[in-house]
Amino acid sequence: MTPSIKLVPVRAAYDDLLKRSLSKISCDLARLIYLASTRDYNSGTYHHDGLSARFSPGAATKALEIAHREVFHQLAGYSLEELVAQLQMYLDCSPEDPAEVLRTWQKLEPYRVAIPVETNPAVARLFVSNVKLALAIWRHRQEPDPKHP
Amino acid sequence: MIGVPTALLIGTILLLALLFLATRGSAVAGSLSAKSDVSLLEDAGELAPCPPEFVARIFDSADWRFVARANSPQLESLFRRERKLVALLWVQQTSAAIQHIMRQHKEASRQSDDLNFSTETKIILLYSQLLLICGLLSVAIQASGPQHVRGLAVYADTLSHRLAEVEQGFRIATTGRQLHNAGSS
Repeated sequence: MTPSIKLVPVRAAYDDLLKRSLSKISCDLARLIYLASTRDYNSGTYHHDGLSARFSPGAATKALEIAHREVFHQLAGYSLEELVAQLQMYLDCSPEDPAEVLRTWQKLEPYRVAIPVETNPAVARLFVSNVKLALAIWRHRQEPDPKHP
Repeated sequence: MIGVPTALLIGTILLLALLFLATRGSAVAGSLSAKSDVSLLEDAGELAPCPPEFVARIFDSADWRFVARANSPQLESLFRRERKLVALLWVQQTSAAIQHIMRQHKEASRQSDDLNFSTETKIILLYSQLLLICGLLSVAIQASGPQHVRGLAVYADTLSHRLAEVEQGFRIATTGRQLHNAGSS
Protein backbone atom coordinates (compact mmCIF):
# COMPACT_ATOMS: atom_id res chain seq x y z
CA MET A 1 0.00 0.00 0.00
CA THR A 2 3.03 2.31 0.31
CA PRO A 3 2.97 3.60 -3.32
CA SER A 4 -0.62 4.88 -3.05
CA ILE A 5 0.16 6.62 0.23
CA LYS A 6 3.13 8.30 -1.44
CA LEU A 7 1.11 9.25 -4.52
CA VAL A 8 -1.48 11.26 -2.58
CA PRO A 9 0.84 14.16 -1.60
CA VAL A 10 2.34 14.24 -5.11
CA ARG A 11 -1.17 14.49 -6.60
CA ALA A 12 -2.10 17.18 -4.09
CA ALA A 13 1.14 19.08 -4.75
CA TYR A 14 0.52 18.82 -8.50
CA ASP A 15 -3.05 20.14 -8.17
CA ASP A 16 -1.81 22.96 -5.95
CA LEU A 17 0.89 23.84 -8.49
CA LEU A 18 -1.73 23.97 -11.25
CA LYS A 19 -4.14 26.07 -9.20
CA ARG A 20 -1.79 28.52 -7.56
CA SER A 21 0.97 28.97 -10.14
CA LEU A 22 0.41 27.50 -13.58
CA SER A 23 -3.17 28.67 -14.11
CA LYS A 24 -2.01 32.26 -13.63
CA ILE A 25 0.54 32.00 -16.43
CA SER A 26 -0.82 33.17 -19.77
CA CYS A 27 0.36 30.43 -22.17
CA ASP A 28 1.98 27.00 -22.35
CA LEU A 29 5.27 28.41 -23.60
CA ALA A 30 5.54 30.67 -20.54
CA ARG A 31 4.54 27.71 -18.32
CA LEU A 32 7.33 25.64 -19.82
CA ILE A 33 9.92 28.37 -19.23
CA TYR A 34 8.67 28.80 -15.66
CA LEU A 35 8.80 25.06 -14.88
CA ALA A 36 12.22 24.64 -16.48
CA SER A 37 13.49 27.53 -14.34
CA THR A 38 12.62 25.57 -11.17
CA ARG A 39 15.11 22.86 -12.20
CA ASP A 40 18.67 22.97 -10.95
CA TYR A 41 21.15 23.04 -13.86
CA ASN A 42 23.65 20.81 -12.08
CA SER A 43 21.56 18.20 -10.35
CA GLY A 44 18.50 18.27 -12.62
CA THR A 45 16.17 18.29 -9.59
CA TYR A 46 13.27 20.69 -9.22
CA HIS A 47 12.85 23.12 -6.33
CA HIS A 48 9.89 25.23 -5.23
CA ASP A 49 10.01 26.68 -1.72
CA GLY A 50 6.28 27.35 -1.36
CA LEU A 51 5.27 23.93 -2.64
CA SER A 52 7.90 22.17 -0.49
CA ALA A 53 6.67 24.01 2.59
CA ARG A 54 3.02 23.10 1.93
CA PHE A 55 3.75 19.46 1.08
CA SER A 56 7.25 17.96 1.20
CA PRO A 57 10.40 18.60 -0.86
CA GLY A 58 10.02 15.16 -2.44
CA ALA A 59 6.36 15.69 -3.41
CA ALA A 60 7.13 19.18 -4.72
CA THR A 61 10.00 17.91 -6.85
CA LYS A 62 7.89 15.11 -8.32
CA ALA A 63 4.91 17.42 -8.99
CA LEU A 64 7.14 19.94 -10.79
CA GLU A 65 8.74 17.16 -12.82
CA ILE A 66 5.37 15.77 -13.90
CA ALA A 67 4.02 19.22 -14.77
CA HIS A 68 7.18 20.04 -16.75
CA ARG A 69 6.92 16.82 -18.75
CA GLU A 70 3.21 17.36 -19.45
CA VAL A 71 3.56 20.97 -20.61
CA PHE A 72 6.54 20.04 -22.77
CA HIS A 73 4.68 17.13 -24.30
CA GLN A 74 1.76 19.41 -25.15
CA LEU A 75 3.97 22.09 -26.70
CA ALA A 76 6.07 19.64 -28.69
CA GLY A 77 2.86 18.25 -30.18
CA TYR A 78 1.55 21.66 -31.30
CA SER A 79 1.38 22.47 -34.97
CA LEU A 80 3.67 25.23 -36.18
CA GLU A 81 0.67 27.56 -36.44
CA GLU A 82 -0.25 26.92 -32.79
CA LEU A 83 3.34 27.40 -31.70
CA VAL A 84 3.56 30.76 -33.48
CA ALA A 85 0.38 31.77 -31.60
CA GLN A 86 1.99 30.63 -28.34
CA LEU A 87 5.08 32.68 -29.13
CA GLN A 88 2.91 35.71 -29.87
CA MET A 89 1.14 35.32 -26.51
CA TYR A 90 4.45 34.91 -24.73
CA LEU A 91 5.88 38.03 -26.33
CA ASP A 92 2.70 40.01 -25.64
CA CYS A 93 2.96 39.21 -21.92
CA SER A 94 6.68 39.84 -21.65
CA PRO A 95 7.69 43.21 -20.19
CA GLU A 96 10.67 43.21 -22.56
CA ASP A 97 10.66 44.56 -26.09
CA PRO A 98 9.44 41.66 -28.34
CA ALA A 99 12.11 42.36 -30.94
CA GLU A 100 14.78 42.17 -28.24
CA VAL A 101 13.37 38.90 -26.86
CA LEU A 102 13.32 37.49 -30.36
CA ARG A 103 16.93 38.49 -31.01
CA THR A 104 18.05 36.94 -27.71
CA TRP A 105 16.12 33.73 -28.33
CA GLN A 106 17.58 33.39 -31.80
CA LYS A 107 21.12 33.98 -30.52
CA LEU A 108 21.13 32.08 -27.22
CA GLU A 109 18.41 29.53 -27.94
CA PRO A 110 17.37 29.38 -24.24
CA TYR A 111 14.45 27.08 -25.10
CA ARG A 112 16.95 24.21 -25.42
CA VAL A 113 17.35 24.06 -21.65
CA ALA A 114 13.57 23.84 -21.26
CA ILE A 115 13.51 20.22 -22.43
CA PRO A 116 12.83 17.67 -19.67
CA VAL A 117 15.40 14.93 -19.11
CA GLU A 118 14.79 11.55 -20.71
CA THR A 119 12.83 13.09 -23.58
CA ASN A 120 13.00 11.08 -26.77
CA PRO A 121 15.71 12.74 -28.97
CA ALA A 122 13.42 12.99 -32.02
CA VAL A 123 10.70 14.71 -29.94
CA ALA A 124 13.30 17.05 -28.42
CA ARG A 125 14.65 17.87 -31.89
CA LEU A 126 11.12 18.46 -33.21
CA PHE A 127 10.48 20.94 -30.41
CA VAL A 128 13.77 22.83 -30.91
CA SER A 129 13.21 22.86 -34.66
CA ASN A 130 9.64 24.13 -34.34
CA VAL A 131 10.61 26.94 -31.95
CA LYS A 132 13.38 27.96 -34.35
CA LEU A 133 10.84 28.02 -37.19
CA ALA A 134 8.24 29.88 -35.11
CA LEU A 135 10.82 32.57 -34.31
CA ALA A 136 11.71 32.89 -38.01
CA ILE A 137 8.01 33.12 -38.95
CA TRP A 138 7.38 35.76 -36.28
CA ARG A 139 10.35 37.77 -37.51
CA HIS A 140 9.18 37.44 -41.11
CA ARG A 141 5.76 38.80 -40.11
CA GLN A 142 7.34 41.86 -38.52
CA GLU A 143 9.29 42.74 -41.64
CA PRO A 144 7.59 45.35 -43.83
CA ASP A 145 6.00 43.94 -46.98
CA PRO A 146 8.16 45.10 -49.94
CA LYS A 147 5.01 45.29 -52.12
CA HIS A 148 3.38 47.75 -49.69
CA PRO A 149 6.14 49.96 -48.29
CA MET B 1 4.93 -19.73 -62.65
CA ILE B 2 8.58 -18.58 -62.56
CA GLY B 3 11.60 -20.83 -62.81
CA VAL B 4 14.23 -21.40 -60.11
CA PRO B 5 16.92 -19.24 -61.84
CA THR B 6 14.48 -16.31 -62.17
CA ALA B 7 13.41 -16.68 -58.54
CA LEU B 8 17.08 -16.77 -57.48
CA LEU B 9 17.83 -13.68 -59.56
CA ILE B 10 14.87 -11.79 -58.07
CA GLY B 11 15.93 -12.91 -54.59
CA THR B 12 19.51 -11.74 -55.14
CA ILE B 13 18.35 -8.38 -56.49
CA LEU B 14 16.03 -7.92 -53.51
CA LEU B 15 18.80 -8.86 -51.09
CA LEU B 16 21.22 -6.43 -52.75
CA ALA B 17 18.59 -3.69 -52.66
CA LEU B 18 18.00 -4.40 -48.99
CA LEU B 19 21.73 -4.24 -48.23
CA PHE B 20 22.11 -1.05 -50.26
CA LEU B 21 19.23 0.67 -48.50
CA ALA B 22 20.40 -0.48 -45.07
CA THR B 23 23.92 0.83 -45.80
CA ARG B 24 22.50 4.04 -47.17
CA GLY B 25 20.40 4.39 -44.02
CA SER B 26 23.40 4.10 -41.73
CA ALA B 27 25.43 6.47 -43.90
CA VAL B 28 22.60 9.01 -43.61
CA ALA B 29 22.52 8.45 -39.86
CA GLY B 30 26.24 9.10 -39.69
CA SER B 31 25.99 12.36 -41.59
CA LEU B 32 22.94 13.24 -39.52
CA SER B 33 24.81 12.89 -36.24
CA ALA B 34 27.44 15.23 -37.64
CA LYS B 35 24.84 17.78 -38.79
CA SER B 36 22.50 17.49 -35.88
CA ASP B 37 23.36 18.79 -32.46
CA VAL B 38 21.29 16.13 -30.75
CA SER B 39 23.59 13.41 -29.50
CA LEU B 40 22.69 9.97 -30.75
CA LEU B 41 22.75 7.48 -27.93
CA GLU B 42 24.88 4.42 -28.41
CA ASP B 43 22.45 2.09 -26.70
CA ALA B 44 18.99 2.32 -28.25
CA GLY B 45 17.60 0.46 -25.27
CA GLU B 46 18.18 3.54 -23.15
CA LEU B 47 16.04 5.74 -25.38
CA ALA B 48 12.65 6.92 -24.22
CA PRO B 49 10.21 5.69 -26.88
CA CYS B 50 8.83 8.17 -29.40
CA PRO B 51 5.05 8.36 -28.87
CA PRO B 52 3.11 7.47 -32.07
CA GLU B 53 1.36 10.87 -32.20
CA PHE B 54 4.79 12.49 -32.67
CA VAL B 55 5.60 10.22 -35.60
CA ALA B 56 2.47 11.50 -37.33
CA ARG B 57 3.43 15.10 -36.40
CA ILE B 58 6.98 14.85 -37.76
CA PHE B 59 5.68 13.61 -41.11
CA ASP B 60 2.55 15.78 -41.23
CA SER B 61 2.07 18.16 -44.17
CA ALA B 62 -0.06 20.75 -42.30
CA ASP B 63 3.05 22.60 -41.08
CA TRP B 64 4.40 22.71 -44.61
CA ARG B 65 1.14 24.25 -45.88
CA PHE B 66 1.29 26.82 -43.09
CA VAL B 67 4.87 27.79 -43.97
CA ALA B 68 4.03 27.93 -47.69
CA ARG B 69 1.30 30.52 -46.95
CA ALA B 70 4.01 32.93 -45.74
CA ASN B 71 5.33 33.07 -49.31
CA SER B 72 8.95 33.24 -48.25
CA PRO B 73 11.59 31.11 -49.99
CA GLN B 74 13.91 31.48 -46.96
CA LEU B 75 11.27 30.17 -44.57
CA GLU B 76 10.41 27.32 -46.92
CA SER B 77 14.05 26.32 -47.21
CA LEU B 78 14.55 26.54 -43.43
CA PHE B 79 11.46 24.38 -42.89
CA ARG B 80 12.58 21.75 -45.40
CA ARG B 81 16.03 21.53 -43.84
CA GLU B 82 14.78 21.40 -40.25
CA ARG B 83 12.00 18.88 -40.80
CA LYS B 84 14.25 16.65 -42.88
CA LEU B 85 16.75 16.48 -39.99
CA VAL B 86 14.03 15.60 -37.48
CA ALA B 87 12.60 12.91 -39.76
CA LEU B 88 16.03 11.39 -40.43
CA LEU B 89 16.77 11.37 -36.73
CA TRP B 90 13.53 9.47 -36.15
CA VAL B 91 14.46 6.92 -38.85
CA GLN B 92 17.92 6.49 -37.34
CA GLN B 93 16.36 6.04 -33.90
CA THR B 94 13.86 3.47 -35.16
CA SER B 95 16.58 1.59 -36.99
CA ALA B 96 18.76 1.57 -33.83
CA ALA B 97 15.78 0.39 -31.75
CA ILE B 98 15.01 -2.58 -34.02
CA GLN B 99 18.68 -3.56 -34.09
CA HIS B 100 18.69 -3.44 -30.29
CA ILE B 101 15.62 -5.72 -30.25
CA MET B 102 17.36 -8.16 -32.59
CA ARG B 103 20.52 -8.20 -30.45
CA GLN B 104 18.37 -9.02 -27.42
CA HIS B 105 16.58 -11.69 -29.42
CA LYS B 106 19.84 -13.28 -30.56
CA GLU B 107 21.00 -13.46 -26.94
CA ALA B 108 17.72 -14.98 -25.78
CA SER B 109 17.69 -17.51 -28.68
CA ARG B 110 21.18 -18.69 -27.77
CA GLN B 111 19.92 -19.70 -24.34
CA SER B 112 16.80 -21.38 -25.65
CA ASP B 113 16.96 -25.08 -26.62
CA ASP B 114 13.56 -25.34 -28.33
CA LEU B 115 13.18 -22.53 -30.85
CA ASN B 116 9.82 -22.15 -32.53
CA PHE B 117 10.21 -22.04 -36.31
CA SER B 118 7.15 -19.87 -36.99
CA THR B 119 8.10 -17.30 -34.31
CA GLU B 120 11.67 -17.13 -35.63
CA THR B 121 10.42 -16.69 -39.21
CA LYS B 122 8.00 -13.99 -38.10
CA ILE B 123 10.74 -12.08 -36.26
CA ILE B 124 13.20 -12.32 -39.16
CA LEU B 125 10.57 -11.24 -41.69
CA LEU B 126 9.51 -8.28 -39.55
CA TYR B 127 13.12 -7.28 -39.02
CA SER B 128 13.99 -7.48 -42.75
CA GLN B 129 10.85 -5.57 -43.67
CA LEU B 130 11.68 -2.85 -41.14
CA LEU B 131 15.28 -2.56 -42.33
CA LEU B 132 14.07 -2.19 -45.89
CA ILE B 133 11.45 0.42 -44.92
CA CYS B 134 13.98 2.41 -42.85
CA GLY B 135 16.35 2.45 -45.83
CA LEU B 136 13.54 3.49 -48.17
CA LEU B 137 12.43 6.20 -45.75
CA SER B 138 15.97 7.65 -45.51
CA VAL B 139 16.25 7.88 -49.28
CA ALA B 140 12.70 9.22 -49.75
CA ILE B 141 13.06 11.84 -47.00
CA GLN B 142 16.27 13.12 -48.55
CA ALA B 143 14.82 13.11 -52.04
CA SER B 144 11.37 14.59 -51.49
CA GLY B 145 10.93 15.54 -47.83
CA PRO B 146 9.15 13.82 -44.94
CA GLN B 147 5.63 15.02 -45.70
CA HIS B 148 5.36 12.64 -48.66
CA VAL B 149 6.10 9.47 -46.68
CA ARG B 150 3.85 9.90 -43.65
CA GLY B 151 1.96 6.66 -44.26
CA LEU B 152 5.14 4.61 -44.60
CA ALA B 153 6.61 6.15 -41.42
CA VAL B 154 3.46 5.41 -39.41
CA TYR B 155 3.51 1.85 -40.82
CA ALA B 156 7.18 1.44 -39.82
CA ASP B 157 6.35 2.67 -36.33
CA THR B 158 3.51 0.12 -36.01
CA LEU B 159 5.77 -2.66 -37.33
CA SER B 160 8.56 -1.80 -34.88
CA HIS B 161 6.08 -2.02 -32.01
CA ARG B 162 4.89 -5.39 -33.34
CA LEU B 163 8.49 -6.64 -33.56
CA ALA B 164 9.06 -5.57 -29.95
CA GLU B 165 5.86 -7.38 -28.88
CA VAL B 166 6.72 -10.61 -30.71
CA GLU B 167 10.25 -10.58 -29.28
CA GLN B 168 8.95 -9.90 -25.79
CA GLY B 169 6.44 -12.76 -26.17
CA PHE B 170 9.29 -15.04 -27.22
CA ARG B 171 11.36 -14.10 -24.16
CA ILE B 172 8.43 -14.59 -21.77
CA ALA B 173 7.72 -18.03 -23.28
CA THR B 174 11.42 -19.01 -23.13
CA THR B 175 11.76 -17.89 -19.50
CA GLY B 176 8.53 -19.73 -18.60
CA ARG B 177 9.79 -22.95 -20.20
CA GLN B 178 13.17 -22.64 -18.47
CA LEU B 179 11.49 -22.12 -15.08
CA HIS B 180 9.18 -25.07 -15.73
CA ASN B 181 12.13 -27.32 -16.70
CA ALA B 182 14.13 -26.20 -13.67
CA GLY B 183 11.16 -26.95 -11.42
CA SER B 184 10.53 -30.43 -12.85
CA SER B 185 14.21 -31.53 -12.82
